Amino acid sequence: MKILPISLLLAATAAAHPVAFEGAYQLMFGTSGSVQNLEFYRSYSARAAWGLHSMRFEGDDDEIFTGLQHNWLLKRWNLPSAQANVYAGLGAGLAGEVGNGVSPAGIGFFRADYETRRVYTAFDAKWIDSADVSRGVFSAAAGIAPYKADFDQLNTWLILQAEHATGMEDKLDIIPKVRFFKGPYFLELGSTLSGKPVVNFMVHF
Amino acid sequence: MKILSIISLLALSATLAHSAPDRAVTVKTTVNGMVCSFCAQGILAHFKKHPAVSNVHVDLTRKLVLLEERKGKTITDNEITEYIRKSGFEPLKVERVKESFEQAKTD
Repeated sequence: MKILPISLLLAATAAAHPVAFEGAYQLMFGTSGSVQNLEFYRSYSARAAWGLHSMRFEGDDDEIFTGLQHNWLLKRWNLPSAQANVYAGLGAGLAGEVGNGVSPAGIGFFRADYETRRVYTAFDAKWIDSADVSRGVFSAAAGIAPYKADFDQLNTWLILQAEHATGMEDKLDIIPKVRFFKGPYFLELGSTLSGKPVVNFMVHF
Repeated sequence: MKILSIISLLALSATLAHSAPDRAVTVKTTVNGMVCSFCAQGILAHFKKHPAVSNVHVDLTRKLVLLEERKGKTITDNEITEYIRKSGFEPLKVERVKESFEQAKTD
């Protein structure tokens, strides 16, 4: 039960949108398998953002990281019918086992994605390291849109994601999920094959 | 006298051509990379703040951003290009068309 309140606060790695448009704030939170995530960024250009990132790893002894992070859009390909992106980020903060103190920690991530109006693919890797916590989270996702939604319509995607967090109980989580977005709101709902719920929410403003 | 009349007509034409139009103008911008409405929200956010823009429409199928200018006001091509880039996309062509905003939406 102690995990539940934080699970409700915390978002998933593979739904991340590290840099939005210039001047945007973006809030992302949710839970994916045994990893929960909360990110809040300010995009000060279309290529860079900074903000707060917090992650929690469920286990016998839950571990938590909280810190400041800077994200870069390293490369974007704006193609006639597709977009591809490469992102990276670095951050620093504190990490430790819940209730056992914290120590300085670093975080880094790399993300690459490719999307058309019907096909979505993404690869995402994150590393967190401190004296007490050393974790890597790796995910790959692919999806299809059953219909081409217009700008003002509800968008629906069916996505299959594989996620691995080093040192966790399950070696590999397979996550079928449904993604919806409309306007500045984004929601993903799914479940791991072992029955753990997956919920991700994002908003830009 | 004939020459004077021609000069006067030319001067009047030039003045009219450079003054802001008294009807709403529709601006069509072709943009690459717009495949996701969630990712293109910056386009709405930026153009809605411009005092010369009364309406914005994003057409993912035709890869177009349509703007309706307020009567007597203008958004420059440079501003349009800058706003599209600030939103994370690449503008290809900006053109002012005779169609109304609503006609351009349904073409």
